[in-house]
Parts: sequence; C-alpha cells; structure tokens
Amino acid sequence: MKRTLFILLSNPLSLLGVILVALVVLCAIFANVIAPFPSHAGAVVDFVNFNKPPQWPSIMGTDLVGRDIFSRILFAYRISLVLGVVVLSIAVPVGVVIGLAAGYLGGWIEYCLMRLTDVFLSVPPLVLAMSIMGVLEPTLLNGMLAVTAMWWPWYTRVVYNITRSEREEGYVLAAEVIGAGPAHVMFREILPNCVPAIVTKMTLDLGFVILIVSSLSFLGLGVQPPTPDLGSMVAEGARYLPDSWWLTVFPALAILVAVFGFNLVGDALREILGAEQ
Amino acid sequence: MTAILRVLLRRLVTSLIVLIGVSMLIFAIARIIPGNPARIALGPNATAEQIERLSAALHLDAPIWVQYGYFLRDLSRGDLGISLYTNRPVTADIAQFLPATLELVLVAGVMMVAIGLPLGVLSARYRGGAIDNAIRVFSLLTVSAPGFVWAVILMLVFAFFVPIFPIAGRISDSYSIPAVTGFLAIDTLLAGDLRAFGNAAWHIVLPALALALSGIGQAARLTRANMIETYDRPYIEMARSYGFPEGRIARRYALRPSLIPAMTIIGLDFASMLGNAFLVEAIFAWPGLSRYGVAVILRKDLNAIVGTVLIISAAFLIVNVIVDLLVAVINPRIRYSQRSA
Amino acid sequence: MTDTLNIRDLTLDFKGHSGTARVLHGISLRIGRGERVALVGESGSGKSVTARIVLGLLQELRGVRVGGTVEFDGRDLASLTRRQRAALRGTAMSMIFQDPTSSLNPVYPIGTQFTEVLRRGEPGISERDAALRAATLLNDVSIRDSGRVLGSYPFQLSGGMNQRVMIAMALANEPALLIADEPGTALDVTVQAQTLGLMRDMVAAHQTSVLFISHNLGVVREFADRIYVIYKGRIVESGTTRAVFDAPGHAYTRALMAAVPRLTGGGIPEIDDASADFLAPAVLHAEAAP
Repeated sequence: MKRTLFILLSNPLSLLGVILVALVVLCAIFANVIAPFPSHAGAVVDFVNFNKPPQWPSIMGTDLVGRDIFSRILFAYRISLVLGVVVLSIAVPVGVVIGLAAGYLGGWIEYCLMRLTDVFLSVPPLVLAMSIMGVLEPTLLNGMLAVTAMWWPWYTRVVYNITRSEREEGYVLAAEVIGAGPAHVMFREILPNCVPAIVTKMTLDLGFVILIVSSLSFLGLGVQPPTPDLGSMVAEGARYLPDSWWLTVFPALAILVAVFGFNLVGDALREILGAEQ
Repeated sequence: MTAILRVLLRRLVTSLIVLIGVSMLIFAIARIIPGNPARIALGPNATAEQIERLSAALHLDAPIWVQYGYFLRDLSRGDLGISLYTNRPVTADIAQFLPATLELVLVAGVMMVAIGLPLGVLSARYRGGAIDNAIRVFSLLTVSAPGFVWAVILMLVFAFFVPIFPIAGRISDSYSIPAVTGFLAIDTLLAGDLRAFGNAAWHIVLPALALALSGIGQAARLTRANMIETYDRPYIEMARSYGFPEGRIARRYALRPSLIPAMTIIGLDFASMLGNAFLVEAIFAWPGLSRYGVAVILRKDLNAIVGTVLIISAAFLIVNVIVDLLVAVINPRIRYSQRSA
Repeated sequence: MTDTLNIRDLTLDFKGHSGTARVLHGISLRIGRGERVALVGESGSGKSVTARIVLGLLQELRGVRVGGTVEFDGRDLASLTRRQRAALRGTAMSMIFQDPTSSLNPVYPIGTQFTEVLRRGEPGISERDAALRAATLLNDVSIRDSGRVLGSYPFQLSGGMNQRVMIAMALANEPALLIADEPGTALDVTVQAQTLGLMRDMVAAHQTSVLFISHNLGVVREFADRIYVIYKGRIVESGTTRAVFDAPGHAYTRALMAAVPRLTGGGIPEIDDASADFLAPAVLHAEAAP
C-alpha cells in the first residue's frame, strides 16, 4: 500500500493524475464553499449578467440566463461523482458475483450467465443506456439505473477470466480437498486475486462514468435542467459557437480534466499492481 | 480454409442467438413504459375509442409474449412496424438515415486503424523515449473525453479559428446529388461529379476525426501494450540474432503476433462508434441516425426505438463477426486447428 | 591463423536506478577455427549475456556499458558501427536458442522464415531457389519430408523437429561462429541428445566454431573440445574437456560436477558462496594445441 503510494507520487504523470483527481474530488465536496455563486446550481435567472465572457467575478463567463459557469461546473462535478460512486457500488458487486459464479461453478450456469453477459455487451453501451433512459423518465435515479445496467457485464468479464484461470491453481484445489464449500472458495480464495484488477478498473471507470453520464445528458437523456451537468452545458452552448465559446469550452475542458485525471491514476495503478485488463 | 468457414458459421449462429436476446431485452424494456403508447402517439385530444382501436391494432392489449411473437413474425418479413413519430415504416426511416451514420463510422474506423496502429508501433519500438511518452500522453488524453468534446474542440480550432474545414453538414448546398445508395462517396461518383465527391470528403474529415480520436488512442495503447509483450518473446530475439533491421522486426515480426489479441478489442471499439456517432452528429449537424434516434426516444416511439436499437446491434454484431474472421485469417493457430478453438 | 573469437577482459555493467551493477568482471575466452568451446555455469553467472555481447545485441540497449575487447575474426567489435555489427549477424555468426518452438515466429510458416534467413546471406535468392536450398539443408539434419515441414507453422511440429529446423537455419549461411545457448533444454532428454549429436556432426562437417553455453557439464562433455567454467561473472577454470573432467581444480567446478539431478530436488550442493574456496583464483589447465 505504502509502496504503491510512493510509486504513484514519484512518477510525474501519475502525480499529475493524483493532483487532478484530488482537485476534482475537493471541488465536488466543497462546491458550496468554493463556488462564488452557489445558488446558480439551481434555477436562477440573472438577465442583467447573461451570456458574459469570462471576467471577474465570473471567471468562466455566464450562461444564457446569467448563471456563473464556474459555479455550475463545480456542482456538476459533485453530481457526476456521486453518480459514479453509486453506479459502481451497484455494478461492481453484481458483476463480480456473476463473474465468480460463472467462472467457478461452470456447466450450464456458466453458459447461461455468459450468454446473458454477451447480450448486454452486444448493444453499444451508449445505445443501451439511451434506450433505457428513453423509455423511463429521464431522472437522476433512472440515469443511475441505465448506466448501471450497461456497466456490470464488464466486471463479469474481468472476474470471469481471472476465475477461470485461478480455479485450476493449487491453492484452490487445496481448499477443495479440505472440504471448503463453493462460497468459501469463490469469495475467500479466488476473490482476493481479482482485487487488483477490480480496483484498477474501478479507478478508470469512475472517469468513464463521468464521460457516459455527460454523453447521455448531452443528448438530453440524462440529468435534467436545472440540475447542472457538463454534457448538457456543452449541448446548450454548442449552438452559440464560436461567438459564445465559453459556454461550451469550459464544461468540455472540465470533462477532459476530470476523466484524464482518473485515467492517469488508473493507468499507473494498472502498471504497479500488474493487473491485467 | 474450411476452418475459416467453421469460425464464420459458429459466429453467425451465436450472433443470431445474441441478437434474439437483444431483441427480447429491448422489447422488454420498451414495454415497461408507464403510460399507453397509443395514447402518447395520438396526442391529448384523442377519444377513448380511437386509443382503443390503435391499441388493438398494435396488439398492446395482448400479453407481452404474444406481442413479442407478433413482433418476431413481422420482423421475419422485414417489417419493423410504423413509426408513431413520422407515420412511416420504421425500415424506411432507418434506410434514409443509416447510410450517413455508416459512412461516418466507416471513415472514422479507417482513421482509427490507420493512425492508431502506427502510433502504437512507434511507441513500443521507442519504449521509454520521448516519442513513446508523447504518444502515451496523447492517447490517454484522447480516451479521456467523449466524442462531442472533441467535436467542439476540433470545430472551434479547424473550422472557426483556422477555417480549413466546413463547419457542418455532409456536403455544400450548391451540390444536388441524387440519392441512390445514400452513401455520398458512392452517389457522387455515380453522378460522375468529382468536385462533389471532394466536397463531401472535405465535410467528413472533422466529424470522423472527432468520432475516431478516442478510438485512435485506444488502438495505440492496445497495440503498444501487446507489442511490448511480443518484444519479450524469444522469436524476436531470434530475429535480432539474424541481424534483421529493427524497423523490419517491428513491422514484420512483432506487429502481426501483437495484432491478434489487440484486434478483437479494436473491433469492439470500432463497433461502439455506432453508438458514439450520436454524440458527434449532433454537433456537426450530420444528417444521420442520431437526430432520429433521440427524437423517437424522447417521444417514446416504441417501434422506432426497438427498430433503431436492433439495427445498430445487428451492425455491431456484424462488425464483430468480421473482426473475428480477420483474426482467424492472421492467426494460423485458428486456421489450422482441428477443432476451432 | 587468427582465432574466430577472442575475448579479453570483458566487463559488463548495468546502470539502474540504484547505481551500477557489475555483471561481468573481466572474462577472457578464445575460440580457434573449427573449435568447439563450452561456457558452463549456473543461471545468472553471466554466460548468456556474454553470448549476446558477442552477437552485438546487448550493446544496443540503454544503460549498458561494455568494457574490454571482443575480436571476431581479428576485428574488434567495438570499432564497428551498429550497422556493421548487424551485418555480421545471421551471416558470419548465428545463434541457436533454448526453446525451439517459441523461438520460431508463430504467425509465419517455416518456409517463409527459412527464406528470410537465406536472404541474409544471398539477398537476391528467388523463392524457388530458396525453397530448394532449404530442402537440402533440412535433409542434412535428417528431415526427409521437407516439403511438409516448410509448409507448416512451428506449433504444428514437435519440439525436436523445430530444433532441427533451427539448427539448419543457423548453419544455412555457413557462419564462422555458431552460438548455442542452452540448446534444447526445453526438450526431453532423448530428443535433446539426438539433436545435439546432429549438431555436432553438422559443425564438424562445416568446420564451424562453436560457443556452447550450458549449465550442464554432462551435456558439455560429449560436445566440447575445451571448457570455460564461469561463476558470478568470472572465469574460474578453463582447460580441455578431458583435463577439466580428470582434475577439476576449482571448488565451484567440483560442486557443478556433483550436481547430478536427484529426485529429491536440489541442484548445486549447499556450499557457502563466500568461502575462500569459491573466491580462489582461476584454475588454468595447460591448453592443448588447437
């Protein structure tokens, strides 16, 4: 653990990643403290200051109804991160259990579970989430549901592959010989070997959830106004390019910075933990 | 070559099973909508009788598996039903919008392979050096943003600040090209209008690049990782011991074994562009499936949603089958195995 | 007559994060024309890196410093450019690797790989002529159905078959020096013995000088004219095979000889590496005239 941290901080690129992630997380947690106009996260209208280019005190300009874009980005980070954590805390356990069961138990259970996984993996992820969001009401809760539904199969895949190779290993055989039940072997013997791969993937995915959620809202199928979201901010502003460039450029860069940070850290973790994809 | 046929057959059968699964999944999702689709379609002024008649015509009063049965029967006749949004057959709508999307995705796919692979090869060959670091940062950056972010950035830079490329659309308004296939690259050539072809090609560069960028990064990363693994193999040292030049070793000895594991995932990425195209089309006002797809989703147009998702999934599966075949072609282990692995 | 290979005071340092590590502490070794010389030691003793220095492969890596002189056919390798060193590989010198099956490229048939090797010696050779040459060369290593072998991929052939292919390839361009790095260790013992016999006949027929690298004195006894024993980057004993076997002088050599594989495991007997015996100066047996 200590060693991992040390390596993480000694490489300039992963250090940059750690800094970016810390920055994004701090912005999200303390959004209401940092934001110059915390009330602008909601349905506020200030027609005196609408569509202003970057200037003090709105360092990233204001949107079409006069809200401070910087403040809205901070709150959008908060919602994206909460979404990411919730999605992963449902998708990971589901995916991991299915992967373990399919990989260890084998037989028809394996066949059925993996075909089910294939079905989910056969719809382009965005299209699957879109169609779920489309038939349900586009709310925050349904957004989480839609993204979770497209996310678990990837964990199933990762865990399934590791389980398949680990189940032939000596230590698994040894546990079976002394009479350990399938649950014990799956969760106490095999699962710990999947942890590095899962942790690495989770770090990368926290970034990708932000990416997908912003894509859904970009299409108008995600977080609904007036709740701030980076994707819908870009979508709204895109119509006013290039004159009101600040409407799109800052939210777009905000997505890039956050996801890049998580990717840098995840990438470094993968190298350090030697976790295979 | 019979082994290749066997791979093809096996993949087609599993694809069909998966496609049926997908249709069930989408169908199930589409039918759990709160509210009667017939009422939504007819609008707020419809009478109860009208709603009932449409419900009966759509079999909405039957149990869901009976509805699915009707759906399958129609599907086997190539009938995806009528879109409640456009009042036209869903197949006609898709036929109108799909070619533009496919054209965009195909060009982006070519860019992804043509740029991503060489970058990965370079990166692996000069591992640890300045070139490698630059390519790694570049590819990590590209995978860190959705297509619409790149679309906005590319548009600002190359259409507004340095106006090299057109801002939006598939072709300038001054050209009128009769739609034969829907693919402008083909239609302009059929019309014998080379300038129109050039104009269309000029229009597709930015949208395709925006769509391809993250794929380029992903392809470069995968190729690099697999090349580095291959470089540790004894046959690379053997090639070096015979004095073959490094460039030749990279291209001829290391690349091909590295491509085998990388290609499947590159194929998946390519196929998922079908979904991501939605993000890019919106920014560049590309007249593809995106606007139609989003519109029908927002209007809860069941037939159109099911049809669109099914068509995209089918295209996705077809791409994957093709990739599996290519892998089989370059991997002699599959070509010559007695039982296909 | 100049020696095929003459190594004097060869040192090798790896530069790492925590300073440099010396791997070779000045080894000297010579191989006369047509002579078969073995370099014997345990893994990590520096024998494989020596082979890679001779081939000029190690010098290309970053963080590597090579000292001393390596003369091939009277030419100092350090005075040659990278390109010139690469030109020697596959033509004037070639190498046989430990695991034949994984040393041949898995995605090309044997015939294709053979043609490329032949083109190192004769760039303009046609497909047809190359195939004919390859068939003749495979015939020399007792492969009768050369047509089938040339059309096959490495994974379709047995390890012993691949080993023969590799021997034929290595000798295809009539090199002056053949380096064999633990040849056939990955094969089972009888196949290994067979292919080694074949290799000995081949090099004898072609008058090829051989640097034979092994951890196994038993294998070396059958094959080599002379032996160098290497231990922790130093030559600790050298002499004719007979002299070394008759009167092993150095404690390490005796330990190696005692290291007969046993079912109970254990390779080299437990002897304190830092003992005075192990740090004793090299034992040099009188050399028989080449």
